Amino acid sequence: MTKDLAGQRELEKLEEIDPVIHSPTRLKVMTYLYLVENIDFVYLKRVTDLSWGNLSKHLTKLEEAGYVVMEKTFENKKPKTLIWLSDQGRQAFQQYKDNLQQIFEGLPD
Amino acid sequence: MSDNKILKSVDRKIFKTYFEDGLIDMFLAAFVLMFALGPFLSRPLGDFWASMIFLPFWGVVYLLLWVIRRRVVAPRIGSVKWGEMRKKKLRTGTIILFVINVIFLILGLVSFFAPIASGYAMSIRFSVMMLILFTAAGYMLDFNFLYVYGILAALAMPVGEWLYQTVGFSHHGFPVVFGTLSAIMFARGLYKFITFVKETPLQLEEPPIQGLNHD
Repeated sequence: MTKDLAGQRELEKLEEIDPVIHSPTRLKVMTYLYLVENIDFVYLKRVTDLSWGNLSKHLTKLEEAGYVVMEKTFENKKPKTLIWLSDQGRQAFQQYKDNLQQIFEGLPD
Repeated sequence: MSDNKILKSVDRKIFKTYFEDGLIDMFLAAFVLMFALGPFLSRPLGDFWASMIFLPFWGVVYLLLWVIRRRVVAPRIGSVKWGEMRKKKLRTGTIILFVINVIFLILGLVSFFAPIASGYAMSIRFSVMMLILFTAAGYMLDFNFLYVYGILAALAMPVGEWLYQTVGFSHHGFPVVFGTLSAIMFARGLYKFITFVKETPLQLEEPPIQGLNHD
């Protein structure tokens, strides 16, 4: 009985994978954002090799989930969008990593 | 750990993208130029001032490259603030390179005031120093091209000495070998810069991001 409950809890790990981060493109964007303090849209586009539209679409989803903060600033009178991971986004990314690790830990080759 | 490797690669890409413009090569070319032109100034100014005179020269080159970076490169490439992982690596790298430079400065001063070696012996000592400096910088900054520059810089002085002893080149061959090395660095930097400007058109304005207020 106890074993069944524990097993059930372990199986739930599979469903705890965050679908917002799990998309390959958003995972890529989150990984880049995880490693910087902040980055502007132009630089992020360059390093991720994504198109304007694609990057914009995925950033919007991440912002809606509260994982990303986007702030419009001006530099030399030109608009510039600064992007960074929110605390919630950092925690979600860590959690995502932990969940995946638990799922694949000890997986036979 | 595989995820660690991926994170390191991503971090490396973020960092290296910032320096795709070739300006570092041009600055290094200015640094190496000191060894090519310095010997001509040694006689009128003395060894010490022949080196010191390059400090304002490097300052001017640095300022020029900084303006290019700000006016030409930054609007094309955007901006980034390094994360903790990169900051830590840069801090460690700076300390290590500083220690290496201090050691080399002491060795240089010892050689200056109490020269014990000449010719090939001096060349090899200098070669080892150059190799260590460039290799450490290449490793710390993740720039593979610095290893190649290190090898070329290490070869320069013995080759110069050989040219001096066999062909009779002036000033231990310094102007020729270091002039060539400086030209190689500058040419590579210029090529990279032109390629960067061509391949990275100026983004006049960011397209609106859905959901973000762009008023």
